[in-house]
Amino acid sequence: MSAPPARAAPPPAAAGEATELPSHEPGVPFIEIETLRTRQFLPAAKEALGDLIAEKGQSSLIRPVFNWAGRNSLFPLHWGLACCAIEFAAGFGARWDAERFGVVPRSSPRQCDLLIVNGTVTWKVAHKLITLYEQMPEPKWVIAMGNCATGGGPFRTAYSVVPGVDKLVPVDVYIAGCPPRPEAMLDGILRLEQLIQERKE
Amino acid sequence: MAPTEVAETLGARLGSRLLGVEPFPGTAGRVRFDRSGALELFRSMRDDLGYLHLSMIAGIDWVDHREVVYVLWSDTRGDYALLSTDLPANDAHVESASGIWPSANWHEREAWEMVDITFDHHPDLRHLLMPEGYQFHPLLRSFKLHEPEQLEVKTRNV
Repeated sequence: MSAPPARAAPPPAAAGEATELPSHEPGVPFIEIETLRTRQFLPAAKEALGDLIAEKGQSSLIRPVFNWAGRNSLFPLHWGLACCAIEFAAGFGARWDAERFGVVPRSSPRQCDLLIVNGTVTWKVAHKLITLYEQMPEPKWVIAMGNCATGGGPFRTAYSVVPGVDKLVPVDVYIAGCPPRPEAMLDGILRLEQLIQERKE
Repeated sequence: MAPTEVAETLGARLGSRLLGVEPFPGTAGRVRFDRSGALELFRSMRDDLGYLHLSMIAGIDWVDHREVVYVLWSDTRGDYALLSTDLPANDAHVESASGIWPSANWHEREAWEMVDITFDHHPDLRHLLMPEGYQFHPLLRSFKLHEPEQLEVKTRNV
């Protein structure tokens, strides 16, 4: 029984050519999987290397890599409030598959760094939302998904509805729609990733 | 079951506290009673007439007075019955039915917080749908839609 032929190792990328992707043998679909992450990592590594040469300190050296790692492994809290939660769930299904961006819903706020408020927040549930937000470890971000979470939506003047979840927790990205489609949710997540990439402190 | 039969059975127990039994479509009748005979009426409906199930309790704000409507269901008779009583708006309280039908508990909590009808001897009369400390009775006709900033949410220390 002969051993299967080993896959040819990719040639190492030439130093200094960060934007050039390593080439692979034709017929191996590995390059398509690697493309997105490599294009994101190499500029960050190049920036970090430049900072090291300039001796600007440890934080400026680590920050780009840390941002790159954090933005590609956002763990939202698996918490559904209203009809936006249906779109939220569809976004993690087979058709839109948000996991290809590294977004994996978790069931415990202790394991999350992203709170997607998907639905109408009433005053009855407001303190539970604050509790969940405070239970999440730093760093953490909040996306207000849909018109209700953004500003109360059609229930803004109702006696029981919080007119915008930013009255309770700080919000980074607002997504319009009633409800927004999963594409809009993914767009919001990608915009949040852009915010995380530009994070300095 | 005809409204007259209901009136005969209840009239023997309640006397003048039974204000009348009107025909109401789809039910055995709409029993109007004075609130001083509430507990006795509840017992009579359950034990004498066999209405073992309380479907719902509704509180209504008629501006000059308030009204409580009880909807009962009997499996043995296979029909509904309505009970209703009028309460003055400045002194809206009636005896709780939660000792007779346990399902009255949450319905009375809702009627209390929405239209401010107090149920005497209720075991746990506190907010059901609104947060603790909510100061308004939002389904009253006199309730004005307020600016939401007036509301404060109590946060819990984690």
